[in-house]
Amino acid sequence: MVVFTAGASAQEAVDTPRFRIVPQPSLNFYGVPGLIDMPSGEMLPEGQFTTTISYFGGQGRYTLTFQPTPWMSASFRYNSIRNWNLAGFPTYYDRGFDVRFRLAQEGRYRPQITLGLQDFAGTGIYAGEYLVATKTFETPPLGTSRLPGRLKLSAGLGWGRFGSFGSFGGFGTRPPYDPSNTGGQLSYDQWFRGPMALFGGLEWQMNEKWALKLEYSSDDYVTETQTTSVFQKKSPVNFGVEWQASPRTRLGAYYLYGSEFGLSAQIQLNPKQPPMPMTVPAPQPVAVRPDRATNPEAWSTSWADAKPAPLLRSLLGPILKDDGLILESLDVSADRVELRFRNTRYMSNAIAIGRAARALARVMPPSVETFDLVLVSRGLSLSRVTIRRSDLEALEFDPEAPDAILAVAGIGAAGPPSETAVFGRELYPDFSWSVAPYFAPAYFDPQQPIRIDVGVDFGATYQPAPGWVISGKLRQRLAGNLKDGRVSPSALPPVRTDQALYAQYGTTLNNLYVARYWQPGEDLYARVTAGYFEYAYGGLSTELLWKPVNSLLALGVELNYALKRDYNQRLGFQDYKVFTGHASAYMDFNNGLHGQIDVGRYLAGDVGATFALDRVFANGWSVGAFFTLTNVSAAEFGEGSFDKGIRFSMPLGWFLGKPSRKSMGTVIRPIQRDGGARLSVPGRLYGEVRKAHHKALTDQWAGFWE
Amino acid sequence: MRVLASLALAVLLAACSSGTEEAPLQVQVFSNTRDLIRQRISPAETGLPPVTRAQLDALDGPALEVTLETRGAAAYLYVNAERDEGAAGQVTVWRTGDNSTLALRNGVLVATRGLGGDILSSEIRVSGGQPGPSGGGAHVMLIRGGDEEARRLVLVCDLEDLGAETVEIVERRYPTRHLRQSCSGSGGEVVNDYWVEERAGVVRQSRQWAGPHLGYLRLRQLAP
Repeated sequence: MVVFTAGASAQEAVDTPRFRIVPQPSLNFYGVPGLIDMPSGEMLPEGQFTTTISYFGGQGRYTLTFQPTPWMSASFRYNSIRNWNLAGFPTYYDRGFDVRFRLAQEGRYRPQITLGLQDFAGTGIYAGEYLVATKTFETPPLGTSRLPGRLKLSAGLGWGRFGSFGSFGGFGTRPPYDPSNTGGQLSYDQWFRGPMALFGGLEWQMNEKWALKLEYSSDDYVTETQTTSVFQKKSPVNFGVEWQASPRTRLGAYYLYGSEFGLSAQIQLNPKQPPMPMTVPAPQPVAVRPDRATNPEAWSTSWADAKPAPLLRSLLGPILKDDGLILESLDVSADRVELRFRNTRYMSNAIAIGRAARALARVMPPSVETFDLVLVSRGLSLSRVTIRRSDLEALEFDPEAPDAILAVAGIGAAGPPSETAVFGRELYPDFSWSVAPYFAPAYFDPQQPIRIDVGVDFGATYQPAPGWVISGKLRQRLAGNLKDGRVSPSALPPVRTDQALYAQYGTTLNNLYVARYWQPGEDLYARVTAGYFEYAYGGLSTELLWKPVNSLLALGVELNYALKRDYNQRLGFQDYKVFTGHASAYMDFNNGLHGQIDVGRYLAGDVGATFALDRVFANGWSVGAFFTLTNVSAAEFGEGSFDKGIRFSMPLGWFLGKPSRKSMGTVIRPIQRDGGARLSVPGRLYGEVRKAHHKALTDQWAGFWE
Repeated sequence: MRVLASLALAVLLAACSSGTEEAPLQVQVFSNTRDLIRQRISPAETGLPPVTRAQLDALDGPALEVTLETRGAAAYLYVNAERDEGAAGQVTVWRTGDNSTLALRNGVLVATRGLGGDILSSEIRVSGGQPGPSGGGAHVMLIRGGDEEARRLVLVCDLEDLGAETVEIVERRYPTRHLRQSCSGSGGEVVNDYWVEERAGVVRQSRQWAGPHLGYLRLRQLAP
């Protein structure tokens, strides 16, 4: 008799195969790979997105760091310093950006070397530059740990803040910190200037859970300890212990500068590693046609003379609907079928295409050999995937099933539906409504770093015909403090700085508009929207986009006439009106990076350009940064000197582990001013069009058979 | 303020939508949270209802039992589709009541769906109508990764015959040969066991590794 676990007992001692996971370095008080207050030469794994909260001696730092490529990372930091007492700030809040570049990768003998620019553009309170090297050694495992420990030694050379203790030599002179500076401009005149100093330390990761850190800091905290008295510095040596609470969370406790206790929490996540794997209900297997040689009558084409499209449509519709797909139109001939459909469920259009192909294989008579699958959104036919039914049947269980079907699939322009197509029944007019809570945050007001309003949105969308959308949203605030926000003076027309005046009203019409989408020609997409676009503006918006299905480049033009809405956000307008619009170029660099340049006129009438770079993942995650330069001078612009910010978007399905097309995200600006401000129009073209085109489809193609 | 907070809570719970447009994000989040809470309050039964041989004999079609060792979950499966691919063997797709499928080629696992971290496709060695693996060599799996990608796992296997063994499944004893496939690669080792009933031409029972996310599956063909 066989005991079922016979194989298991021999198994326990050995690991099963796994995918290699790049070890993630621990983070320092500035939220970048490092020791305690000093950086190290390590880089995060590609795509890593981290949040760090640290606190010591009255100083709190909150840092987001993103690693878009293996050799570069960027950070955004918000910090608070108590008892600053300079330039009229009892508690001083500041924002800053860092960038880090890997100069050399760790080798057998060579350490990893990184160049860092800290707080390189703000008011420069944390400004410092460094070159730092780190070498990793394995140590014997400790206690019951199965894995060896790791010892990391770091040594670096710092300038600015990192060159202030034990300093020597240096190049040129560094301008002193100026608290009255409006900030925002690249402070390249001070990079690597002034005295330098050496710093270093070690991190010993004893086992999976515990690590010790010890460092010698070259930051003398001159302003904090000498100009003001934020804390007292008695020693350059810091030490602490860190505990890996979970694979994503690490907590640390430290003793710094001979006088202060410190704490840190590090949260690291990677868009490529969801908290739970996406689970999609299994599709029905591909239905295989009877053999033509033994069953020739099943392959007869006489059915095609009987106008079978309405019947096939009624068979196909419910099957598609089970998979969250909506049949828009169907055109059938004896050997070919064209299905136009909408995907309302999957972030991956490849999954939708695979499922639509399986549905056709179940319903279509055997003589139909070619499947044309056209993705439709808002009445626009975005792309056509052509698949031979024989390939679908032959490759479902192929050892290389995803690549095999991609190699024989055609992806091209959709074109308009033919005259013989039958359209989905009872699709139009279409009415949808929703009641949902909303959360509207605002950041970085010196009096109150985070403000938020919460309430309920009542939304409704009516689509009278393909390509027509009438949509509106009523908003009822239930609680919040956005209304207590400040209205800061501005040298420009107050196009965005008066948001607090809009926040005074609890019941508002958030938007209400009519939009028309159509395709004026091959590779061209057009939109006209009229109505109330957003809380502050309404008017008329027009857009034209050129984007061939197989092109990585897209070009667009958007022209708007915007009227500023009344503060009560009902139907009235104020007398501020502006022509605003941009010519845009969108580029997919084929390595996960997407660039965008918009040149045009902004809401305050200023003229300039916006530059944006985003790291976009196949699963829908994106993280990026942007800045805008216009003909508004830094003095006119005010604090921050020019408009800039970071943005991220994470797909809901990534969190839930189930299919969803929704994403949540936000744009964070260090400060919102009136220069370089843009209109927010619902339903812009590029994002939706790109997702159905060649590059996005092939990036997600593994989903075809899912 | 407290009144407002409880009002807000009531609204959150009432978040809802209707129509062909996808539900708003908050509605999806709250319905998902509600499902999780329900599962927590009354967890789904992981054990299977016991069956008797009389019940199995009364079935129209074949039945398979699967146990996911890592999750301690089990299910009965029915045949969803069968496909004869000649020299490349016969593919059988088995389906659970909650829409997961396993695809077996001559009883060897080649694909899973609906479980999360699925095997998208596999390269294995089988021959014709012979149940179980037909030899050693490369065993390649494409595993669904977190960024919509297919990740390749390459194993190298040896196959050994451990001789005749009798297997009992729900009151019935089957004469089988025990085949053991030992594979290594990607920093680990895997042992797949097959109890092959040659007379019936099936893999009567097996324990197969389904990739890093799913771990080992135990399969028993209950009927016929």
